[in-house]
Amino acid sequence: MGCGRVGSQVAIRLCEEGHEVAVIDHDPTQFTRFLPASFTGQQLAGSGSDHRVLLEAGIERADAFMALTHGDNRNVLASQIAKYIYGVDRIVTRLADPFRAELFQRLGLTTVSPTNIGAELAYDALTRE
Amino acid sequence: MYIIVIGAGTVGYGLAIELLKFPDHEVVLIEDDPERANELRDELGEMVIQGDGTEVVFLEAAGAGRADLVVSLTRDDARNLVACQVAKHWFHVDRTIARVSDPRNERLFKILGIDATVSAAAAALAQIETTLPEHIIVPLMHLQGSGLEIVDLHVLEGSTADGTAIKDLALPYQTVFSLVVGIDGAPRVPTSDTVLQTGDEVIAVIAEAAEEQLRSLFAGPLAEIDEADVGADGA
Repeated sequence: MGCGRVGSQVAIRLCEEGHEVAVIDHDPTQFTRFLPASFTGQQLAGSGSDHRVLLEAGIERADAFMALTHGDNRNVLASQIAKYIYGVDRIVTRLADPFRAELFQRLGLTTVSPTNIGAELAYDALTRE
Repeated sequence: MYIIVIGAGTVGYGLAIELLKFPDHEVVLIEDDPERANELRDELGEMVIQGDGTEVVFLEAAGAGRADLVVSLTRDDARNLVACQVAKHWFHVDRTIARVSDPRNERLFKILGIDATVSAAAAALAQIETTLPEHIIVPLMHLQGSGLEIVDLHVLEGSTADGTAIKDLALPYQTVFSLVVGIDGAPRVPTSDTVLQTGDEVIAVIAEAAEEQLRSLFAGPLAEIDEADVGADGA
């Protein structure tokens, strides 16, 4: 869910590794912008917290769900729908806000905070000089 | 009670105004949109905070640590869910209420421990259902976590319940009839000997799973004719 720079890179990589991938984004122009013509995964325009879209993407037989949009709350809602309504085992949720990343990690989601990672990398780059 | 209301749209603003009428309540209203927040601050003063009610910092500023109740009433299900989860699990707020716009999200909110949900769709549906004469069970309120609900049952003419004493009805487990309002409009607390009559309304606590069973006791003969026809086939 979320076909921006981050989402598309992950999707392309998983697809190349031979996984069956479906990408959801509410803005279909993101597909042409970030996905190469060689991308074989399913592309779905719509909201990742819309049950209809999730079902179309095959959520009921999905082994993993990743919510990687810029919207923290949207990511949390969709991730919890995938986990608690459709029983998806592995969930990765992107959260820009480190507080919410910590909280929802505690509540059972695997959260990734680009803010923390970016800040660490920037700090390391500076202090390594 | 100390109450934080998130989202100052028509619903949130309306609720805040109602709550302010009670001198015992202290109310804070969090609104994301700066223009709307300013407008409300002119009217209501310091109780209005401009900010994102799903963020720890703004909830902290609103005093979430000592709040008894957080109600999130924005149009966005995602924000309402997250605001309530942050309130509950970060600030340990006792009670959280969220507005749900997509009825399919209601189950999730329940699973995740949101204490109550407010749904315009559900409210409208219940309102419509009360006006349909053939409607036998109108859900009034879900008792969170118990699997029980309070319902309004209508006794239809010719139903199993019609003319039968409560003790003679095969009521599902956990059913309690609390109040019977007769066709004359007089409320009575029923005993096991109370005989139900056409037009009676029964306010009852029932198990959510028992709705179908009760429906068959309170349904008029029309609903049963189909089955009788099938049974009589070939006779």
